[in-house]
Order: sequence, then structure tokens, then C-alpha cells
Amino acid sequence: MYQRSLLLLLCLMLAACSNTPAPLAPLPAPAPLDDWERIVADARGQTVNWYMWGGSESINSYVDQFYGTALQERYGITLNRVPVSDAVLAVDQLLSEKEAGIDPGSIDLIWINGENFASLKQADMLYGGWNQKLPNSVLVDYTNPALIYDFGVPIETFESPWSSAQFQFIYDSARTDPADLPRSYAALLEYACANQGRFTYIAPGPGAFQGTRFVKGALFELSGGAEQWRNFDQAQWEQWSPQLWAYLNELKPCLWRTGSAYPATEYELHGLFANREVDYSITQSVTGAGALIAEGAVPETARAFVFNDYMIGDYNYVAIPRNAPNRAAALVLANLLLEPEFQAAQILPENGFGLGYGIDVRKVTDEQDRATLEAAMDRLGAPATPPAELLAALVPDAAPEYQSLIEEGWRENVLIGN
Amino acid sequence: MLAPALVIVGGLFGASLWYSVLKSLGYLPFIGQFQITLEAYRNLLPGSGTPASREFLPALGFTLWVSGAATLLAAAGALGVVVVGLGRTRAPHAPRGIVPLLNLTLAFPHLVWAVAIALLLAQSGVLARVLFQLGLIATPADFPVLIRDPYGIGIIISYTTKLIPFLLLMLLATLHAQTDDYAAAAATLGASRWQTLRYVTLPLVLPALTAGMLLGFAFVFGAYEVPALLGVQFPRMLAVLALDFFRNADLRSRAEGMAISVLTGAIVLLVAAVAYALTARRTAGHG
Repeated sequence: MYQRSLLLLLCLMLAACSNTPAPLAPLPAPAPLDDWERIVADARGQTVNWYMWGGSESINSYVDQFYGTALQERYGITLNRVPVSDAVLAVDQLLSEKEAGIDPGSIDLIWINGENFASLKQADMLYGGWNQKLPNSVLVDYTNPALIYDFGVPIETFESPWSSAQFQFIYDSARTDPADLPRSYAALLEYACANQGRFTYIAPGPGAFQGTRFVKGALFELSGGAEQWRNFDQAQWEQWSPQLWAYLNELKPCLWRTGSAYPATEYELHGLFANREVDYSITQSVTGAGALIAEGAVPETARAFVFNDYMIGDYNYVAIPRNAPNRAAALVLANLLLEPEFQAAQILPENGFGLGYGIDVRKVTDEQDRATLEAAMDRLGAPATPPAELLAALVPDAAPEYQSLIEEGWRENVLIGN
Repeated sequence: MLAPALVIVGGLFGASLWYSVLKSLGYLPFIGQFQITLEAYRNLLPGSGTPASREFLPALGFTLWVSGAATLLAAAGALGVVVVGLGRTRAPHAPRGIVPLLNLTLAFPHLVWAVAIALLLAQSGVLARVLFQLGLIATPADFPVLIRDPYGIGIIISYTTKLIPFLLLMLLATLHAQTDDYAAAAATLGASRWQTLRYVTLPLVLPALTAGMLLGFAFVFGAYEVPALLGVQFPRMLAVLALDFFRNADLRSRAEGMAISVLTGAIVLLVAAVAYALTARRTAGHG
């Protein structure tokens, strides 16, 4: 008995290692991407499995309430929102499916960030050729460099935008006079050292892009521009990185806990801020502090502000895996995300999402849609950074090669060093 | 009888172990990499100049420190409780109700325990605020940094307090079985309270205590969630470091993450094997 089960175990393990997928019933040929009507017809009755970060209850209910209802009523598609604690879990699942040769798989659409997008592109697990075939893609500015690079990786035809975000700081108007706010990294250093322990930033590293982005902004300011960092140049990095570490090391002793510990996530920093341990927090939301106030994460007197320059802005996207079982429904959903009515709904803090437009409002020709989108922007109110200030400070992200140089260099030269 | 269970455990555990080892050897089919190399392990060695080489040794040292300190402190705490019990009743019977209480503390997940410790001991925590209200410290920030500190004090406190009930249950089980007679005999022969502890109780509980300590050590050594919650960005414990490499956007880093995991697992297995051997010897000795 014992020997037989060992044998069975061995067989199981061998079977698990074999790369030949089990033969599947042939699927009907998918509708060509140019035939949108047929895609919509194919999608009817499908269930779209949308994997997304599920850590925010307000985002979850926004998705179910707005997209779930519309998909069912307009297209006969059922939305199965699959919450994951980190989008990297969806990446892991796709990699396992690829190894095991599982096709069709289990994921139709992923709300994805730049790091996971780079991973899936590296593993060649994304379905391509579709993003500019969506009817609503005419509303998207596919010439905008901030949009066609995701964390510096070209999106090509693999991703379609959902919303946008821009790096901003948060302060408490009940504690800080807006006239005293630092408006550059140089002023921030002065502020931090004059107010010992009252500032910190999120530790740069995988999964904490906000911290990396804070450091990139410093690099841009020190080197006098964001433009030259759009392409990777090792010599340029070697020229400027010592000054970057020097700046951050000068800042370090003035930080919360004298720079021996850093918050690991945005919410940890919000906690320190709400607790009055530090004076500023960091957000990426177009609502500024609005969405966080609605969630109760920061006090009602919290307001957003930006430096005069080098506030990195970017887009976030959805992608379709190569082995998506319900590709037609995924395409319909990706298109629905770009509908002006939902774009207008997604920025309002009371709806629970609070990220900016994925589309370019100037490309919307329908008068009423355009009025709705503009009215929504006007309703963001005091907790948000005024759009003109956001735009004036907006810069695109640096080339992807700098990401790991910054993250590893920061650990080596700032966190561990001296 | 055991076969079905063995197949399931062996299949699930064995297959994932097999995959971990393969991936640590650079076998990453999802990016078309099938070559078997020791590169990931070499990258961990000091002097190889890779990010992993800068992180691995400090992480190993930090992990040894945290698991060693937590285990030793917990053993001292558990023995201390037994000694206090001895002081009262000579034969260290557990006071009524203590075993259910100990079981209750064991039922708390480590994560919940760690969050509770953080809420209590952080600079913004309950204790700091109480001391501040009492005027014993000028601001809550004067409270010592015990959570998210570079020495792992928060992690050690969390595991020590969680391990004490575990070790105590093991000690009580051993003592409960036989100490009455031995202690009575020692008393009849004129042993003092200290002599009873030194020559009767300690030798009786030592094998169980050692085995329990080794198990506790192995558990803390491979643990992830509490160090992730209560730790700093540097130094980090091995499991946290491994996951960080595993989660790197560059899928090739997964080999290094797996190599760290495999080495961690090997050390844990070694310690568990020693614990098992000790328990087996003790059982054989009493058998």
C-alpha cells in the first residue's frame, strides 16, 4: 500500500511537470477586433472575471454598483469582480497557468500597475492588438507620452487606460498655514530640518511606487529637468545619483525616526499624518484629500498641495491575458470604462473611486458628455489641488531602467548606508 | 493507514518543494529560461556585488538574533512561571484555570497578536498615551521606539509573549504526569525547595523544554507576517527578504527569492529534525 502510494505520488509529480496541455474542445473562432457588433453579440451571456486589488471597500462597491449594473443591463454580461490583496497575485496565477499550459485560463481582465505589466510582458502573457480598436479609444490621447508609457514601459497594444493619477502631498489646514508649505524639494529640506521629525516619505521599493516617485521627483529637481530622464542613460545616472543620495542623506536625520524607519505603504503614512506624528502625507488621487476624507483616513481639514514642478503623473490601465476565457466580455468592459458618464462618476469622491480621467476631455465631442465631465471636475472642491496647479507641475515618469536603480540604490546608499 | 494522508501531504508539499528548488536553480519556464544554474545562490554570497548579496547576510544574522532572543526569553519566562508555581505549592501544579487560559492565548493568530502589541506599544500606542496623560513623558514621541525598530524588539516581544504559553503548556504536561511522586520523594529525603527544582524538576522538563524551544525557534525563523508588520525596511528577516525578491517586477529575481526560501527551509528542517530526535530519545528513555 505504502509503495503503491509512493508510485502514485511520483506519477502525480511527473504529470505536474509535463508541459503538454490536455486537449480541449476547439473553441469557435473569436470575432475579429474590427467587428465591434459581433464582439458585443459574442459577449452576451458571458461572465467577465475581473481581477483587481480589493483592499478598498469603497472602490469595490463603486465597481459593482456602476460597471456591474451597466454590464448586466446593457450587454447581458455578468461581472465577477475577483478581489486580490495585490495585483501580483493575478500575475502569479497567470504564470502558473502558463507553466501548466492551461488555456482558456481563469482571468479575463486585470486592473494592472506598471510593475506587474512589465512582468506579464516579460512572460509574454498578454493579449495584444485591441486597445485602439475599442470604439471609445477615440476619446483617449494615444499620442500623450505619459499615457503610452506605463512606468516607462511602452504599453503598445496591450493596455487600455482606466484612470489617471498624479503625485501630490497632503497637509492639514487646521495645523499648517498654506503660505508656509514647501513648494520644492529644496524648500522641503529646509522645512524638515526646521521641524525635526515632522516629515517622512514612503520607503521606495517594489509595491511602494509612491516612495520611488518621491525620490524620482528629487532627482528631477536636482538635475534641473524631467525630460532628460525619459530615456535610459547610464552615464547620466552615474553623474546625478551621488547628488540624489547626498540630498536624501541630508534629509534623513531630519525625518521622522531620524530616517531609521519609513512607512511601507500609503495608508501607513496616512495613519502617521492623521495621528499628527508627521505634517504631510502623500496621495495620487485627483480628489486630493477628498476620497481619503470620505473614507475617514485623514481629518476633514486635510488638503492637497503640489510643488511648483516635478509632480509625476501617470495613468492606470486594464489588460487582457492571452488565455482569457471571455475575451469578448473583457473588451466590452474595457470599452465601458472609457464611457464619459463613468469617467465623470469615477472622479467624484462620494462615489468611492477618486482617480482622474483616463480619457482626454478635449476629445469628447458630445456637448452633454463634455459638460458632465467638466462639471464633475468643478465639484471636487477644497480638498483637491486646483487643476491648473496640477497641470503646471505635471511631468511624466522616468524610463523603467531607473526604477530598480533608484529602489536598490536607495536601500544601499540611504537606508543602509551611513 | 497513513498512505492517503501521505499522498496528499507529500503530493502538495513535495511538489511545491520540488518547484521551489527548481526555480531557485533558475528554471523559470514562464520567461523561457530552462537552464539549471547555481547563479541565484552565488548572488547571495557576500562580495558578488549584487543587491541580494548586500541583503542576505544581514537578514540571516537578524533572523538568528530575533528567533534566538524570542526563544530564550520565552523559555526563561515559562520556567519562571513554573518556579513561581513551585514556590507556592512545592509540586508545580498549575493553578486552576490556567490551562484554559493558556489555550486561549494560543488561539489568537500571530497576526492579531502582533497588531495588538503594536497598538499597545507603538509611539502612538495606548501605553505611550497613558504615560503622556500621566505626565511621565513630555510627548508621546518620547516613548521608546519598540515597534518598527531596527533591533527587532517589537517582533521579539510579539513572539516571546506568544511562545511563553506554548512552552508552559509543554512543561505543565510533563510535570503533571509525574512530579508529584518525585517531588514528594525528594522532600522525604530532605531536599530544599531549590534542590527540588535543580535536581528534580529541571531534569524532568529539560527535554520537553529543549524540544519546544527548537520548535519555537524554527517557527520564528521562517515566519513572515509578524516581521513584515512590526519590522523595519532594514534589516529584514529572511522570509520578508525572500518575498521581496519574489515580488520584484523582474521575473528573473524570483530565482533569488526562491534560493533564500530554500535555504531558510533547510535551516528550519534541520532544527525541526534535532527537535524530533530529542523528543524521540526522551520517549525512548521513558518507554
